[in-house]
Amino acid sequence: MALGFDELLDTGGFVPHGVCLLWRPDILMLHVGSDILIGLSYFSIPVALTYFVLRRRDVAFGWVALLFALFIIACGTTHFLSVWTLWTPDYVLEGLVKLITAFASLGTAAALWWLMPRLLALPSPRELEASNRALAQEVATRREMENRYSSFFNNLAEALFIVRVEPDGDFAFEAINPALARATGLDPERLRGQHVRDALGPEVANAIIPRYSLCRDRGESVDYEETLDLPVGQRVFHTVLVPVKDAAGRVVRILGSGRDVTERKRLQEEVIQTSKMVTLGTLAAGMAHEMSQPLNVIRLWTENTLTRLQENLLDPARAERALKLVIEQTDRMAKLIDHVRTFGRRDGGGMQAFQPANCIQSAVELVRHQYGMEDIEIIESATSAQLPVTGRPLELEQVILNLFSNARDAIVALRATGAAAGRIMVAISDDRSGHNVVIQVTDDGGGIAPAVLPHIFDPFFTTKEVGKGSGLGLSIGYGIIDGMGGRVDACNVELGGGRRGVRFTITLPSQPVSSADREFSHA
Amino acid sequence: MLDPFHILIAEDEVLAAMALEDFLSLRGFRVTVAANGVEALERYVSQRVHALVTDLRMPRMDGQTLIREIRERDATLPVVVMTGYLNQDSDLTHERWKPLEIFSKPVNPRTICETLNRMLGLPQRA
Repeated sequence: MALGFDELLDTGGFVPHGVCLLWRPDILMLHVGSDILIGLSYFSIPVALTYFVLRRRDVAFGWVALLFALFIIACGTTHFLSVWTLWTPDYVLEGLVKLITAFASLGTAAALWWLMPRLLALPSPRELEASNRALAQEVATRREMENRYSSFFNNLAEALFIVRVEPDGDFAFEAINPALARATGLDPERLRGQHVRDALGPEVANAIIPRYSLCRDRGESVDYEETLDLPVGQRVFHTVLVPVKDAAGRVVRILGSGRDVTERKRLQEEVIQTSKMVTLGTLAAGMAHEMSQPLNVIRLWTENTLTRLQENLLDPARAERALKLVIEQTDRMAKLIDHVRTFGRRDGGGMQAFQPANCIQSAVELVRHQYGMEDIEIIESATSAQLPVTGRPLELEQVILNLFSNARDAIVALRATGAAAGRIMVAISDDRSGHNVVIQVTDDGGGIAPAVLPHIFDPFFTTKEVGKGSGLGLSIGYGIIDGMGGRVDACNVELGGGRRGVRFTITLPSQPVSSADREFSHA
Repeated sequence: MLDPFHILIAEDEVLAAMALEDFLSLRGFRVTVAANGVEALERYVSQRVHALVTDLRMPRMDGQTLIREIRERDATLPVVVMTGYLNQDSDLTHERWKPLEIFSKPVNPRTICETLNRMLGLPQRA
């Protein structure tokens, strides 16, 4: 039997609920009071919830709160209806409201269980507080580190700078430290954010930008020595550039540190110059002899010719021969003079590419005669060296002369013990790889004691008696070869027939290497 | 006519030796040239020599050693030293090496010749 809505709400057949309570005022009051209090409370809760959700916009799952509000309002309504039905038997209406309440409760309950894992995942206030504390700690630590680093940056004696690599590859100063400001006379405030090209004079900029570009393009550390004309004057810096990359591996910054080595450089040059003078001093004796020889020949032949002329004994062929001899001898002297002149010069010119074989040739020529006097023979093996090396030819010659001079001393010392010695072998060739030139100077002077061998390149180390050697020759030679990107090694060799000696091997790269590669080769 | 005086020249520089030999020959000396100390000593031992003209720096045996060797055999042989570089601690200037005269290179052959004449007791030529 289908019932209409009006019929459904028809209360005709029911009695009010109060009948069940026998209209006892005390029980009625208990129910009415309790239901009204519950209903009012239930009605107030959704107001508070809604207010909370609206005010705290960051509340997660706010719609659950609204579902809650709906369910509680429905619940409150059922309580008010309970009061109503005490007197008015609208049980159907009450039932419908309960049905709505049931659905709202069911929905809320289901939603709660469905959300439970996600609700549990929400950090509790305690957890939040702990993580806040950790964060605060982290911030403090970082701030302290930053302070420490900035105090490093600001107080370190090393000149430091940070250069930003712009998207177009150009360079701009981000910061320079006070040490750099002091060393260079540049103003940190004026430099900040400026393009390197605009911040520095064109000469200095042109000198350093290629270095920065190398660091940027290679993405590797670069170190080099540079001489810069700065507001404080000309200074020599040993500078190291370190690239800083972003996640994509692009160099975005360059950290640079520079050490002012002007003074050290000057001392070094002085020491080299001093040693050159010492070498020159020992050569002076030989030189005096070398110079007097051609002069003597000239004097004798001219006197001779003059005498023959005066005595009518001069035939044209003899006169011609004498004059040609005189010319030859003046050439010989001119060569010697040139050599002495260049040898004494302060730095011997800039770095250049040259054939090392020529240096060996002139070193040999310079001492061959002198050593010949002492019955020391210099034997050159056929040279197959074609590769050029980079450096200062005169410095290499100085190294070779120093090796000859040590070889000679060893031979003379060995002879003093009664043993036979007197050969210096010099060889130069390209190595098989075609990248290096190898120069070997070998003597038969008895060799070096194994305990001494590791020290021979140490500055001021000498085995010679006081006054005989400065102990600087080999260490300076080492420095010169190192400056050319090469290395020098020494070892004892057996030469057969019971003869022993030392072999110095100089390996010079044919291609000038970057200092980074050099570091690598030393590792 | 008397036999000419025999001069031994010890000099490793061939061109110098050759010119001096020619000059002294023109002045009437008989000249023998040795290219080093050892060769000079051999000549001295095997031939009669009246005077020695020597360089100091020579291969195999230097002039100083040569002079010492000769002085052991003959205390009075006139010696003329031609040197490009006289070592400061050389004692050749000492009396005990005399008769000995030292000339720096370049030498004047006339002076050498005059000195030889004087040391050998010959009359000086005009």
